[in-house]
Amino acid sequence: MALTLTCPVCGKRNGYEFRYGGEDKGPRPVEAGLTPAAWCDYVHMNKCTAGVQKEWWCHRDGCGSWFTTWRDTTQNLEVAKPEASK
Amino acid sequence: MNRLNQLPTLRITPSEKLSLNYRGKTVQGVAGDTVATALFANGVRVFARSLKYHRPRGLYSLDGECSNTCMDVNGVPNVRTENTLLKDGMVVREQNVKGSADRDWLAFIDKLDWMMPAGFYYKTMHKPAAIWPVAMKQIRKAAGIGVISADYQMKGQYDEMFIKAEVTVIGGGAAGMTAALAAAESGQRVVLLESRPHLGGCFDYRVSTTAEGTPLYERARDLAEKVKLTGNIRVFKHTSMVGAYNNNLITAFQVGKASDTFTERYIEIRSDSVVVATGCIERPLIFDHNERPGVMQVGCAHRMARTYGLLPGSEAVFSVGHDLGLEAAVDLFDLGLKINCVADIREDGQNPELMLALAERKIPVLKGWVAAKAHGCKKVEKVTLSTVEGTVKRQFPCDLLVASAGLTPVTGPFILAQAKMGYDSHTGYFLPTELPEKMFPAGRITGVNHPGAIEASGRLAGLKAAAAAGADVGKTVAEAEKAASVLPGPERGCKLVTAPVKGRKSFICFDEDTTIKNIKQAIEMGFDVPELIKRFTSAGTGPGQGGIPGHNLPLFVAKYTASISTPVPTTVRPPLVPTFLATYAGYNHHMFKHTPLHDSQIADGGIFRNIGVWQRARYFSADFDCREEILNVRNNVGMLDGSTLGKFRIHGPDALKALQRVYVSDMSKVKEGRIKYSAMCNDDGCVIDDGVVVKLGENDYYFTTSTGRAGQTVEWIRYHTRFDGWDFSLVNLTDAMGVINISGPNARKVLSKVVDIDLSSEAFPFSGYREFLIKDAVFVRAMRLGFVGELSYELHVPSSYTQAVWDLLKEAGAEFGIRNFGVEAQNVLRMEKCHVILGSESEQRTNLLDLGLGFLWDRKKADAKTVGAVALRQAEKDAGRLKLVGIRMEDDDRPARDGALIVDNNVRGYVATMRKSFTTGQAVGMALVESQLADIGTRIEIFEDECNGVRLYARVVATPFYDPKGERMKS
Repeated sequence: MALTLTCPVCGKRNGYEFRYGGEDKGPRPVEAGLTPAAWCDYVHMNKCTAGVQKEWWCHRDGCGSWFTTWRDTTQNLEVAKPEASK
Repeated sequence: MNRLNQLPTLRITPSEKLSLNYRGKTVQGVAGDTVATALFANGVRVFARSLKYHRPRGLYSLDGECSNTCMDVNGVPNVRTENTLLKDGMVVREQNVKGSADRDWLAFIDKLDWMMPAGFYYKTMHKPAAIWPVAMKQIRKAAGIGVISADYQMKGQYDEMFIKAEVTVIGGGAAGMTAALAAAESGQRVVLLESRPHLGGCFDYRVSTTAEGTPLYERARDLAEKVKLTGNIRVFKHTSMVGAYNNNLITAFQVGKASDTFTERYIEIRSDSVVVATGCIERPLIFDHNERPGVMQVGCAHRMARTYGLLPGSEAVFSVGHDLGLEAAVDLFDLGLKINCVADIREDGQNPELMLALAERKIPVLKGWVAAKAHGCKKVEKVTLSTVEGTVKRQFPCDLLVASAGLTPVTGPFILAQAKMGYDSHTGYFLPTELPEKMFPAGRITGVNHPGAIEASGRLAGLKAAAAAGADVGKTVAEAEKAASVLPGPERGCKLVTAPVKGRKSFICFDEDTTIKNIKQAIEMGFDVPELIKRFTSAGTGPGQGGIPGHNLPLFVAKYTASISTPVPTTVRPPLVPTFLATYAGYNHHMFKHTPLHDSQIADGGIFRNIGVWQRARYFSADFDCREEILNVRNNVGMLDGSTLGKFRIHGPDALKALQRVYVSDMSKVKEGRIKYSAMCNDDGCVIDDGVVVKLGENDYYFTTSTGRAGQTVEWIRYHTRFDGWDFSLVNLTDAMGVINISGPNARKVLSKVVDIDLSSEAFPFSGYREFLIKDAVFVRAMRLGFVGELSYELHVPSSYTQAVWDLLKEAGAEFGIRNFGVEAQNVLRMEKCHVILGSESEQRTNLLDLGLGFLWDRKKADAKTVGAVALRQAEKDAGRLKLVGIRMEDDDRPARDGALIVDNNVRGYVATMRKSFTTGQAVGMALVESQLADIGTRIEIFEDECNGVRLYARVVATPFYDPKGERMKS
């Protein structure tokens, strides 16, 4: 409940205003040659990272944008984008 | 009882009399009294009976740390009367008694404690199993606290408040006020929370002086005045902090004064840093009968006299373990209390000035002595004192025993902020081993007791908090650090846990009647961790939230198990103090959307129901079968307010692409002047929405969604196109447009009286879409739909004009006998046509194919990556799915209820909607059944709740039930 998120349009706002849109899994896969298992993985399987992950949020009670941000799931706090691992 | 009316420390207004009703009698209190002190002033000593043993209980801590004084106030049970300010006309009753608190018929249970060892409830009541229901009833009658009446309605206004500040200070004592003032110096916004109705904390009632010679109570009032004059400090009094979350989010609730607009208010504070200046409560002294009425803690006795003007007894014995106890003895003696003896647990280390003051007053002091047993039943009559070792005993008469083993810091905020707590062997406190980020302790919680040191630690914490919140105060912090370092630091605390007693009647937890003996039993059964012993014996699980046993339990366990490691504290969770659910519920809004036609629907006799976020007219007569409304549509013409329908416009270069993504049909085939019915699925192929789409121009569409989906549609479309970077605009017009549905064989005749365009079936056919003006002014989007199965027009009208168009149509239809129909009539009409309503004929697992809507799905648009298409392709091969079928009861006068189960030996499906159809005279409906049962003619068995074994039977029949060729809706 203490979560705040930074909307790219409206700025830092109370987490109550947002809807969670899941982990960032990349664009929808091309349908040609897609196996059911691969599709199921895309739709239903999550990494459930304990730590920092990139995820989608919708500013539902604000501007309505969908955007990605980084959140530390162990603390439920928004964090800066981590530096690329070498 | 005479009050000490002239004390400068009073927090009551003796001249302002208030009355309350106690056990049918009206008694007097004064403004500023709590319910508990007002009752005490009227001679009440036994406030309640204990949970299990029905032992008499009285005033003990004065801060609501135990259930001793929980009472029923104005019908609300378990009110902590020590924390509840008296209001005129309150009705107060004692709880958990048979008879009265003074004479309780169940008091004999106290003698049966040998039958109830720790965990007896878990261990004895299951053998034989049949005893349980009987035993449970009796136990519940005899044990417990307050009782609420089943039809009780919570009264009052419950407010909520969400505020932002740089620094939050929890605790409005000297340290908290100093911290707030220091933090406010740099201009930051400060919020100060104080759980009592006034600021001052442990300075508020004390007449001892600061180093400068100012009495502490005066110093507290000076600080409070300064706080009041500081504009950037917001003070919330009578506000208990209940929760701390990450990012230093603090929650609290405030009790309203008579002049406030709220009864209680939930407060959520977002601040950068937090000062915890919650101070200390007292650690109860454990000895035999340590909770008899007349036994009270030092602060309770002292504040009764100094704050409320009530001398807590006439003849007292003190058994204490810290200087505050000695200070109280001196002060209470001066106020007229006779003191027979002061037993101090400590052999040495007392403040010499206080020892001198006691000697001057000829009060005998026994060092290294402690109370071992309180005598008397409903009040203390005498006390046995013993040396700490238990070697020598002496008895003293008294009617007041002031008992306190030591102090214990109120560390709840730290624990909630997930600080790890460790035992500090100097103070004997459990303190955070590492402070949570941007959270600073101040005042007595750090172990200091010297008034100057309390203020200095407050100032230092306030400055540090301001710095953590971004203020540039580095130099000031260094100065404050230096100032604090020269003052006395944390004091050594008394470590004694229990007097030398066996502990059969020595209570470690008052709320749950847990004795030292119970704890020993639990340990002997193998429990070794305080956290588990707490659960097994329920010590600390009552309304006091561990305020009484929180410190003693781990200390006792460590001692009794001869543990070589340091004591491990039990944890606490929010809310830290009991809070009304009503306070969390807040305003309890009754919030619904109204359609533009709401008032006229009421005027027409509509009976409303809450449907999703809306209130809609469901019926227009007391006949909930809606026979007249239905037949009027079938045979004549009716009008429905359909404004709750979701309405949207999408336009921009990539609008069509977006529609192709979310709709299962090929949306490039939508033709101008025609409507297209289609559906949206989720990624599992399950239907989430259906509606119609019309093309207004190139890449410009108007579409409708079901009522329930209107709120999520924009979010849905944007979500599923979020990676594509498409350019389109999406506007939710749901509230901007009203919808009037005019249906029935006479609909054309009525509409033609109002509009100028050609309405013939050739000019405006079924599935057509037209735009026109009514009265040259009102722009209307009109669609010919067939949801109810008759000739039907759906007019989408700007909200502000909807009522006007409705009135025109009504007037035009008067000669035909036009009348309203409601949502229920529509439900039956469409059911006869087997048109589905998502949510009635479908649930979360129902996919497009199950509903027989597979024809909507265009398989040839793989490039569009249509949501749900991949899953639908899979589902086509799955034989084990439910199918939507039409069913007819074998007994046409007995339709099954919606949701009834279809069974053989197992559940095989369920009835979605079923009604007696007036049009056909049959009991028909739709059901989702396993595919083996889906063939026409199959006999199916229906199970209803409370059917007592009597099954209903129906057969699968062809659909739709009415006008199978659709001639009427296309006419």
